[in-house]
Amino acid sequence: MTQNLQYFLIPFMDWRIMLLLWGGVFAGIWVGAIPGLSGTMAVSLLISFTFSWEINDALAVMCGTFVGAVYGGAITAILLNIPGAPAAIATGMEGYPLAQKGEAGKAIGLCTTVSLFAGFVGVAALAAAAPIIARFALKFSPRDFFLLAVMGILLIGSIGGGDPIKGIMSGTVGILISMIGMDPSTGELRYTFGSLNLMAGISFVTAMIGLFGVSEALTQFRTSGAKSPKQNLTKVIPDWPTFKKYLPLAVRSSLLGVFIGALPGTGGDVAALLAYDQAKRTTRNPETPFGHGAYEGLVAPETANKGAIGGAFIPMLTLGIPGDAITAIIIGALFIHGLRPGPMLMIETPHLFWMIVSMLIIANVALFVLGLLSVRPFAKIIEIPKSIIMPIIIILSVIGTYAIQNSVVDVFYMTGFGVLGYFMRLYGYATGPMVLGLILGPMLDSNYRRTMQIAEDRLFPFVSGFFTSPLSFFLTASIVFMLFSQTKLYRKWRGIE
Amino acid sequence: MKRVVVCLAVVSLLAAGAASAAYPEKSPQGYVMWGAGGALDNVSRAATPLASQHLGRTIVLQNRTGATGAIATTTVANLPADGYSILFGAENPNLYKVTGISQIDYDQFDPVIILMANVGVVVAPKDSPCQTYQDLIQAAEGGKSIKMGSTGPGGLPYVATNMIQKIHGVAFNLVQFDGEGPALTALMGGHIDAVAVGLLAAANYINGGSVKGLAVISPERIGGIGDVPSVKEIYPGKYDQYLPWGAFFGVFLKKGSPKEAHDALQDAYLKACNDPKFTEFADTMGGVKLGLVGDAARAYIEQNKAVSAWLLYDSGGAKFSPEEFNIPRPTVK
Repeated sequence: MTQNLQYFLIPFMDWRIMLLLWGGVFAGIWVGAIPGLSGTMAVSLLISFTFSWEINDALAVMCGTFVGAVYGGAITAILLNIPGAPAAIATGMEGYPLAQKGEAGKAIGLCTTVSLFAGFVGVAALAAAAPIIARFALKFSPRDFFLLAVMGILLIGSIGGGDPIKGIMSGTVGILISMIGMDPSTGELRYTFGSLNLMAGISFVTAMIGLFGVSEALTQFRTSGAKSPKQNLTKVIPDWPTFKKYLPLAVRSSLLGVFIGALPGTGGDVAALLAYDQAKRTTRNPETPFGHGAYEGLVAPETANKGAIGGAFIPMLTLGIPGDAITAIIIGALFIHGLRPGPMLMIETPHLFWMIVSMLIIANVALFVLGLLSVRPFAKIIEIPKSIIMPIIIILSVIGTYAIQNSVVDVFYMTGFGVLGYFMRLYGYATGPMVLGLILGPMLDSNYRRTMQIAEDRLFPFVSGFFTSPLSFFLTASIVFMLFSQTKLYRKWRGIE
Repeated sequence: MKRVVVCLAVVSLLAAGAASAAYPEKSPQGYVMWGAGGALDNVSRAATPLASQHLGRTIVLQNRTGATGAIATTTVANLPADGYSILFGAENPNLYKVTGISQIDYDQFDPVIILMANVGVVVAPKDSPCQTYQDLIQAAEGGKSIKMGSTGPGGLPYVATNMIQKIHGVAFNLVQFDGEGPALTALMGGHIDAVAVGLLAAANYINGGSVKGLAVISPERIGGIGDVPSVKEIYPGKYDQYLPWGAFFGVFLKKGSPKEAHDALQDAYLKACNDPKFTEFADTMGGVKLGLVGDAARAYIEQNKAVSAWLLYDSGGAKFSPEEFNIPRPTVK
């Protein structure tokens, strides 16, 4: 025990690790905020860059960047309605209307404060219950992942804008686009028309940059003469009653985030979207309705994606299984540094576990401080005339898209999605459902077919699985309840308007 | 930080020393055909900084993923053959022609070096009723439905599973995953009964005791997991036609690249491959270090191609017959 405490304290004592963590967080915030540059990209670049470093230093800068990048995505989502990362899609739904009302400072301040809280929840779960959570996460069968994806698809109702038919259309097109490329199961080519570039498929990040970034910039050109709202920056840090008001939601969402993050293959993006949906369904009387700047809709996704950071490390450190894309890359880094990420990692190198725990704590504190310090300069971004900021956004979108895999073809896709998104907005189709379809399409597709394969393509074993497995039954029941809770009958019974 | 400064100084000194030589005049670009964090990426990123030191120039690596590596292969094939565009590839291009993905494969490239092999290993959950490889085969022969994890056609798990099915005349119920990692995760969760994966993905789980290694698909046992028997021990003679077989990771230049570039890179990567740091890395990962160059490298690639292409074709997973591309059927040597 004292041994572990010693390991835990190493990063606090070492000024170099401290510096690298703070530097990583600072760089991560910017990487996350710029649409197109992602934490995944930054961490994979860091592998080569830190090759000759000591493992502790390399881990410090990677952990810092990870934490910073998840946070940074929210900044541009709130200020410009352009999420810097997929995990911030839901944040923009409520954050941007707030910025339009001049409350960007308050919004970012609240995000930063609850982020610190959620980060700690994630780290606490990692430190206290990692083996238990990891073992539970393994119990998730392909059928359960399929059900999670279905739950995610129901979100179209929340983010689909006013007209449900238009939302569903947008989502369906997104799912269809996600099918382009090689069939993950049989290798069959789908919608490729003999083109090698289409065989590679269309990455949802490319589509997201176009649909959110470029199309938003194009849309805002229409109102470029309008004056930007004056931002009120007097009270950035939320006071105790405000914090207390959102605390129950923050606890719920960050725990949800920890768990979704711990599931192999799902990360902060899915966690944030599910938490947003959950908040929207359970908040009885928001001060402001959802979609017009409800603070609940800001707290839920931001706590979920921070909780997911600690969550993603859980299967990684206990079993060597990555919880999301960034931890997958960190596993690669550990290999290159001569460690054995796997079930023996905690036994062979316990110091690594406790050092990552304390590094994440430091990174979260650094995030809180740096985040609050940068609220004022960030909020000024919104006051830059649109005729200057929007062209910059388009340029960054192009650079960011190219940087994903150094592909010019991706830039063409991105531009195409930008123009498509512009016309969609013009005719009242929300772009969110399309991105949602792109994220969840492959998860739906491959897990549905995997479930079928496990049932040997027979209908009865396939259907009965939804009722015989306790986990699947719980998820199925939740979906049924989510649907039922929208009916008039239920709302009348519970007295909801 | 001190180490970084020293390293930078060494690299720049080496760069200055090598500046008089003709190759390399500038930093070569490396294209890795699989994504960051994957096995090929790890191998490339472990060997390249060591090779760069010997070469005197930094080789800049970038991941160009998609279409099981066909995007990177085609990209490099379309760049000038000047020795400054290097392909870091795995075994996948060996199946591009028979699956109809692309007509550009390693026939358009010269291997600089084959760094490492990834041998297949059959694993089961630790509490599985099949405690040995024979148990698994006998259960399948007895008609029991066995859920066998796999990845898309052409991947190591897919080809290895087909090899086992063909040799023993059994049929597994194949469940497809997005990669070896997710298949192993499902195995540990008890959602499938067994899976054949590359040792690189499984070594740490076998040694850590979270899965049970039943057999390595190799003529002999592999150093890192000495307790796991080889298929040749269990079923002598049955597998000879197909072995040695495994995935591999190599460095390639487009055909027609200058000989001095090829030689300089070969020399640098051979030194990197023999570096104790790389040896340690290979051991940690569970890979079998090869360091094959020239004709030996080509022969290794062709053997892999013959086995994989014919197994894929015989199982119905290929669109075109290997015969059309003059790929000989593997025979007992």
